Amino acid sequence: MIVTWSYKDRDTIIQRLDPRARLIFMFCAIIAIIQVWDFRILVAWLGVALGAFFLARLTWQETRRFWMVVLPIITMLVTITALTGRGGEEAYKVTHPIWSTVLFGRFTFTISAEQLAFAASQFVRMVTMATFGLLVPFTIHPAQYGVTFRGLGMSDKFAVATDLAFRLVPTVAKDFQVTLDAQRARGYELERKGGGLFQQIRNLAPLIVPVTIGTILSGEDIIDAMDLRAFGAKPKRTWVIELKYEPRDYVLIAAGIIVLVVTTVANVLGYGNLWVPGWLLPG
Amino acid sequence: MDDIRMNALDVQHLSYRYRTRQDFALRDISFDVQPGELVLVAGASGCGKTTLMRCINGLIPRSYKGGELSGEIRILGQDPTPLKLADISQMVGTVLQDPERQIVGAYVLNDVAFGLENLAVPREEILRRVDKVLDYLEISHLRDRETYALSGGEKQKVAIADVLVMEPDILVLDEPLANLDPASAEEALVLIRQLADSGKSILLIEHRVESVLSIRPDKALFLEEGELVYYGEIDGFLEAVNPFDVKLPAEVAIARMKERGAPPPPPKRARQENVDPLVVMENVRFGYVPEREVLHDVSLEIYPGDVIAVLGPNGAGKTTLVRHLIGLEKPTSGRVLLEGRDTRDITVAQAAHTVGFVFQNPSHMLFAPTVWEELAFGPRNLGFDEVRVARNVQRSLEIMDLTEFADISPLALSYGQQRRVGIGAVLAMESKILVMDEPTAGQDYRHYTQFMNAIVQMPVEAIVFITHDIDLAIQYANRVILVHDGRVVADGAPEEVLADEERLEQCRLRPTSLLRLNLMHVEHTGTFLPLEALVGVV
Repeated sequence: MIVTWSYKDRDTIIQRLDPRARLIFMFCAIIAIIQVWDFRILVAWLGVALGAFFLARLTWQETRRFWMVVLPIITMLVTITALTGRGGEEAYKVTHPIWSTVLFGRFTFTISAEQLAFAASQFVRMVTMATFGLLVPFTIHPAQYGVTFRGLGMSDKFAVATDLAFRLVPTVAKDFQVTLDAQRARGYELERKGGGLFQQIRNLAPLIVPVTIGTILSGEDIIDAMDLRAFGAKPKRTWVIELKYEPRDYVLIAAGIIVLVVTTVANVLGYGNLWVPGWLLPG
Repeated sequence: MDDIRMNALDVQHLSYRYRTRQDFALRDISFDVQPGELVLVAGASGCGKTTLMRCINGLIPRSYKGGELSGEIRILGQDPTPLKLADISQMVGTVLQDPERQIVGAYVLNDVAFGLENLAVPREEILRRVDKVLDYLEISHLRDRETYALSGGEKQKVAIADVLVMEPDILVLDEPLANLDPASAEEALVLIRQLADSGKSILLIEHRVESVLSIRPDKALFLEEGELVYYGEIDGFLEAVNPFDVKLPAEVAIARMKERGAPPPPPKRARQENVDPLVVMENVRFGYVPEREVLHDVSLEIYPGDVIAVLGPNGAGKTTLVRHLIGLEKPTSGRVLLEGRDTRDITVAQAAHTVGFVFQNPSHMLFAPTVWEELAFGPRNLGFDEVRVARNVQRSLEIMDLTEFADISPLALSYGQQRRVGIGAVLAMESKILVMDEPTAGQDYRHYTQFMNAIVQMPVEAIVFITHDIDLAIQYANRVILVHDGRVVADGAPEEVLADEERLEQCRLRPTSLLRLNLMHVEHTGTFLPLEALVGVV
């Protein structure tokens, strides 16, 4: 069965805003953020994202699973980028090495002030975007997904399909947990050691196959169920849930557009590039 | 011709073969249904019931393409061949076997409104019709609830509301009682009768024949291996079908057995005295989220020789309780000891040496290329040598009547057959305790009788099964545990626990004909007897 994200209905300033306005603002914010490498501006954006997180009265407890998955991935990506020095070519041209060593007697490994500043900016940027992204499933009422996507210009069919696809993530996660339990009850251990890479991948088959097949079959069931209820019968469908913009929603949309325009202009004029604090530079 | 036009449904010489199958799933089926008629459709798993449903609601050939279809169907006098599925769905409403597969909306209002939204009915009209149907089904209080969080019975009613709101004249209900506790099933049946009385023609596919008979279906249709064996009045149906194929009311079954000869009753295990418990649950409390406790201070012991039926309403905590036996859940407080070891100190895989757990839905575990390999997976994980693996697999194949499917993919089997693979896969692990969650749900009577008879004779030290079927407890269990609202409210021999009608009512259970017969004779017999043994008593 298709499940929903862990959503709690709360009467907060965030949830009172129209979901379309929130998605438009978020879209503008993310486009603005990816144009900026200046740590100070990114920290300000993080403040906005965290402000929204707290205004929505979300807690660590209810979002813990999300962060447990996302934070290690971000940390890994940032660390790899920082250690290899790759990824920052566009953000900085000149480097100021602050530490270096020779590995295995052959390879010189160097850390520069720019690499560290880039890593810090990249980390803040990714956490900010993740926080904005997290606000979508945790603060938008699942009953409003379809009509929200429709209101953003998608066709009826595409809006319904996006609604279902959006709820597919927690559904697959739930199916994965049930499958893991069922196979553990048959003596299967995910942490089984031994074997080469190919064997390790084969060891995942008892989890991957039922979840994949189950997802495909339940997808077919959903298509049947939708067909049996006249999905796509008319060129235009009705949406029983209605959304209505309030003045505050227009303010939010305007704020998003202004920030995006200002950031884009600043970016074109050469502002917002990587900022390396003076105290980090050698000498 | 005029008579034919008056029929709600007219099926003539219908045959169908799936693209991927060699045999025909339906062969030369002919019958008609009048407006307001309630027709029970019965038959073993794989007999063609669901295929018949798909032909009538138009999924065949529109969604199941490439098969071979012949014969004629007329719906309300109309040939559906040129119609779109959306048009047919306004004449034939289908409630699929598993309501979870039918519900697409995140909330009840969205879900029930879905069909009308697709037909571009004005919003105010949709809201009026949704409220009307929710009110009719007495589930208005669910209107703004999340569909995922509903109980099994509630989901079933929402699935019925999904199709009723589209006001079809014909309803096809595919095993709507399969996952319901007896009280919810009774409520659903009363509703189905009301719908027929209001003029809807209903095809009710169901294994729980005895329950359906309580609402006086007008006719019965019995399929066997794709062929129509019987179509007509209920009295004739009770005469025509084999009492070993279909679960008939106890009095009818006993009378038929007296004519044909009763088979030996299933062996009942005797409980053992003065033995150490295999499992000890001590003051177990548990909740999936801190603010809502599901199990409240549960204490019980499981001994060698026990065959325990766990009964109780939907959402009572039965599955949560048995998941503690293998350590899939750990108590919030209290403890569970498995042969003296705290389940907190061992992995689930280690616990599987002692407890074999059969999940309710087989699709969550099947992955191997063949049924044989599927059954070998568990024993290999437990480190059995290949000789022992082969021996256990062979025995499981025989017990579960799966030998002919050994070399084909378990994913190619029907749902009922997949459930048997799921049980066989755990049987092959030779665990000391076999735990089964609703082993007979969605199974036909012949097959579940066959495998339950074999399972109770296996060298398993204890068996625990969750069920909504009181008769299954009477036939096989020597101990019944009643669970209600996260508490064990009764624990004892079947004749002790099931004699209290008030308590059964509280646990949303309903006395069956077999229970009533046993209660009438228990003074003489001293214990509850299975159906076959009652033949010599009644």
